[in-house]
Amino acid sequence: MSLRSICAYISILSISLVALLSSPALYAQADTTATDTTQAPKPKKKDMAGHQLCLGVDIFHPIINNIIGNQTGYEFAADYYLHNEYYLAGEGGWGSANVNYSDLKYSTTNSFLRLGFNKSVLNRDGPKDWDMMMIGMRLGFANITRSAATYTVTDSVWGNSDSSHVGKSFPALWIEISGGMRVELLKNFFAGWNIRGKFMLNGRSFNDLAPLYIAGYGKGDKNSNFDFNVYLSYALRWDKKGVKVVEKVVEKDK
Amino acid sequence: MTKSGILLALCIMVLAACTQQRSPCLTPKTATLNVETIHMATDSSLVPVDTALPGAIFVALTQNGADSFQYTQQSSQFVLSLAPVTNVCQWAFTTDSMKYHNLFDTLTFYYQRNLQFLSNACGYTYFYSIDSVRTTHNNVDSLLLTNTAVTNNVATKHLRLYIHTQY
Repeated sequence: MSLRSICAYISILSISLVALLSSPALYAQADTTATDTTQAPKPKKKDMAGHQLCLGVDIFHPIINNIIGNQTGYEFAADYYLHNEYYLAGEGGWGSANVNYSDLKYSTTNSFLRLGFNKSVLNRDGPKDWDMMMIGMRLGFANITRSAATYTVTDSVWGNSDSSHVGKSFPALWIEISGGMRVELLKNFFAGWNIRGKFMLNGRSFNDLAPLYIAGYGKGDKNSNFDFNVYLSYALRWDKKGVKVVEKVVEKDK
Repeated sequence: MTKSGILLALCIMVLAACTQQRSPCLTPKTATLNVETIHMATDSSLVPVDTALPGAIFVALTQNGADSFQYTQQSSQFVLSLAPVTNVCQWAFTTDSMKYHNLFDTLTFYYQRNLQFLSNACGYTYFYSIDSVRTTHNNVDSLLLTNTAVTNNVATKHLRLYIHTQY
């Protein structure tokens, strides 16, 4: 991927995210009937949500990889609530792939880490409402180790030629945009899904033999991938100072 | 069979359908050298004539013998391949298979090979960079190398063969 393409991707992603995050339509539906322009500005809502650290595991990839058969991928996720519906988010995991075609044979293993943020675009019903519909962005990194690869160039006229590449380790770097939802099914237990668009930043560095599968990214010989996750998560929560008092006041008002 | 049994069977069928085979290779795997033939109306003419050869034969002179390709229909566009195992290869060529007295010309290609990874679906192939081409002059008057980079782009023309007026 050329530097120009990378810049284009990043520009599109940045503009899309800024447009989404700053869209007043997401927050201002209740105010659309107001016509009095002399009204005093509303005081900023105080963020009454407490602390939450959510730990999850992806159940989609182990199942689908088990069906495919020649690759594995395991993924764990964590996010921490910062403020104003922003979450610091990260995922990590590992995986492998085995290529055993008649003209190409090698295997790879890799571990990966993705870091970024999520932004919930749902209005909360209250401080204890942690259901979310989110958009997010990640920067992903994988360390890939490839075994020696043997290959055959087939030619029906002049004859085949066999050769091999020595094994090596190399990094992969990509950016992602994601969107999805998460619902608290039981107290502190969530289920949710998200879809991700992934864009490789350094695909040219392993053009000599791109891995069939990079856990955390997808097909290694494609500069962009779409992916899907299903997470089961558990939330650890602790209150901010004064949150309980505020909640009581809110209940009284009702 | 109960409803849950049917549902389970459907799930298994759907999952089995997801089982991945090797993805199909959607790009040309072989780098082709595309040749066009041209001849002039007279030796002094500068205007080329449409030169569809009536029954051209191209013969790959391989280490294991000869492998011939006969064009049964008139054509002025021909597709050759270069040997991925050496840096030089030869093709023998005649303009018309029906003329028993027709002599063959030998085209000799000198080139560099560049190993190219296409994709996991397609595997590896070689692209070539042609250094030079030589020919005998029985039917071929001269040749012009118009593009030295031989890749899997089928639209690129690489070699123009100028055929003698009386071929």
